[in-house]
Amino acid sequence: MEKLISSLTEKRVLFTASVAIRLALVAYGDYQDRTMAVKYTDIDYHVFTDAARFITKGESPYNRSTYRYTPLIAWLLTPNIYLNPMFGKLLFIICDVLSGLLMYRILCLRGLGSQAACRMCSLWLLNPLPIGVSSRGNAESILAALVLGTLLCMEGRRLVWAAMLYGLSVHMKIYPITYALPICLTLRTPDTGAGEEKERQTWRRLLGFIRSFLNQELLLFAGVAAGVFCGLTSFFYHMYGWEFLHETYLYHLTRRDIRHNFSPYFYMLYLTADSSWSLGLGLAAFLPQLILLLLVSWAFHLDLALCCFLHTAIFVSFNKVCTSQYFLWYLCLLPLVIPRLSLSPKQGMGLLALWFAGQGVWLGPAYFLEFEGYNTFLLIWLAGLLFLVINCFILIQIIAHYKPEQTAQRLKSD
Amino acid sequence: MYFLLFFTLACLSTCYCRTENDEKAESMCGLLRQSLTSTSVSVEIDKKGFHRDVVTTVEFSPDGPSDLQALVVHKWPRGIYVDPYQLASLSEHTDWQVLLDSAIDLEVPAHKTVGLVAFVFPALHGRIPRLLKVTVPVHGRYHEPSFDGKKFTSIDLDPPELLLRTGKCQLSYLDPHTIVDAPCTADNSSICQWARIQHKQGQASFQLPVGDGLLVIPVCSATLLVTLVCCVALAKTVWKHQLFTH
Repeated sequence: MEKLISSLTEKRVLFTASVAIRLALVAYGDYQDRTMAVKYTDIDYHVFTDAARFITKGESPYNRSTYRYTPLIAWLLTPNIYLNPMFGKLLFIICDVLSGLLMYRILCLRGLGSQAACRMCSLWLLNPLPIGVSSRGNAESILAALVLGTLLCMEGRRLVWAAMLYGLSVHMKIYPITYALPICLTLRTPDTGAGEEKERQTWRRLLGFIRSFLNQELLLFAGVAAGVFCGLTSFFYHMYGWEFLHETYLYHLTRRDIRHNFSPYFYMLYLTADSSWSLGLGLAAFLPQLILLLLVSWAFHLDLALCCFLHTAIFVSFNKVCTSQYFLWYLCLLPLVIPRLSLSPKQGMGLLALWFAGQGVWLGPAYFLEFEGYNTFLLIWLAGLLFLVINCFILIQIIAHYKPEQTAQRLKSD
Repeated sequence: MYFLLFFTLACLSTCYCRTENDEKAESMCGLLRQSLTSTSVSVEIDKKGFHRDVVTTVEFSPDGPSDLQALVVHKWPRGIYVDPYQLASLSEHTDWQVLLDSAIDLEVPAHKTVGLVAFVFPALHGRIPRLLKVTVPVHGRYHEPSFDGKKFTSIDLDPPELLLRTGKCQLSYLDPHTIVDAPCTADNSSICQWARIQHKQGQASFQLPVGDGLLVIPVCSATLLVTLVCCVALAKTVWKHQLFTH
């Protein structure tokens, strides 16, 4: 068994097998779509393709109802219309495998040996969840590749590239904006003062803190990232107008999907959708996310991979809407965190089983609601709360068992 | 004189032709009139949950005109909708087409939208079947939570209108109460006159689950409490294990 795992995780074998599995599933998906009633391809892929078709006719991709993404994706998928409808899926699986490669490079830069790095990457490359998602035609792997690219460039201190990739990733999906604070904290001038810091006046310390953000590296990063983001936004606004801004950004920021999903807030938002409490409750739901993100940025900015992983996991778990696609946003960062965890494989498997059990407990009543017509709203709500508790427990275990190698960890005395 | 004879013969022949055409038209309309009385339409609902099939069954009269065209008009309440993209992909495997009267918002809840009218055009290919079944997939919308303890809301579907026409019958021969205007084909390029049948059978209905508005206070309190506890627990752990440089 040990020998089998070793041979599978040898670099060339691993990446070849990853590509082969994904290609096979894309081919199978095409067969299933043509012959069976239940389709393999995700509905999102048809949305992308229809939007690309509008672009080839010189129209706006937003003519396609429920296309809520950057026009860039529809532009990238225009070969679906000109060449072959499979092109998009091939692009997504290439980005998926590229994500694995970027993960490998980051792990090596963080001090892991080649064999160990391959084992970590296999958690993504041979994981059925990302394999299924990209072979079904979801574009999440593009985001994963961009975020990992940003982290790799930050790790290698290539700030211009990091900023460009970061700006592009924020343009494609809003959630990487939360990484801005830890990146700024990483790039700011570190404090050089010793114990005398505590003697100075508060306003001087505050001034010094603000001034530490105004250094060349941070300003360069901010300038390039903002330039890329604003450039792309202006360009697409010029082409498609208000609809682009609304569908790509505003819809996601104000989205109140009252239909059942993993979020613990789902039932609360459904029951209060038209009441006067709606705004206040929405704000109350936003506060835990905000507070935790600020805390995590401050506490873990010295280890950017861990910080980004915790950021995204917290963002998704406490979000007002949560679907299984969102899990990939932090799963692609988990292999970067695992090497420094002091959890035993048994404990790790236990946490993983708990995570899947949490989803299973939710999926049961959700199926009975949607496909059998039972009123299981209360059960779905309780399962959503349980899933939040499980996610928090897992995150607490990860934080408590994290052993950073390069920075000293000092337990803060109470 | 020859001119007079020729003129008389021409008039007589056109009169004869017109009478023959009239007779043909009358006989076609007679067949259509018969179809209107002896054809019946019924609707039933298949599957469970939020994704249902509306099965429309048409029993044609055996002696209808050969070039009969049929149109089923569904007037559906706002609690359900059809996915035009799903219908477009289905149309590749079926021989009926659907025309919708307005754009469909796939995500809006029921109380924020209006009902829809669906024109279903089955292709009869010049041969009238004894029984025609058309299955249209529909989806239930989320409804407002109930504040009277009811766990379900009822969606009632009226039986559809079945419209018939044939190219060879001028509908003016028929009873004016049965004539309606409707699109000629699914591409909605023109409006035609159709004749409406008389027999419609029963209403079909199904139930959709709704949230319980009476639980709003316990649900909100418990949700905010659990999220607060989780937030505090995580915050404590983060603060305890924060990273410092030497």
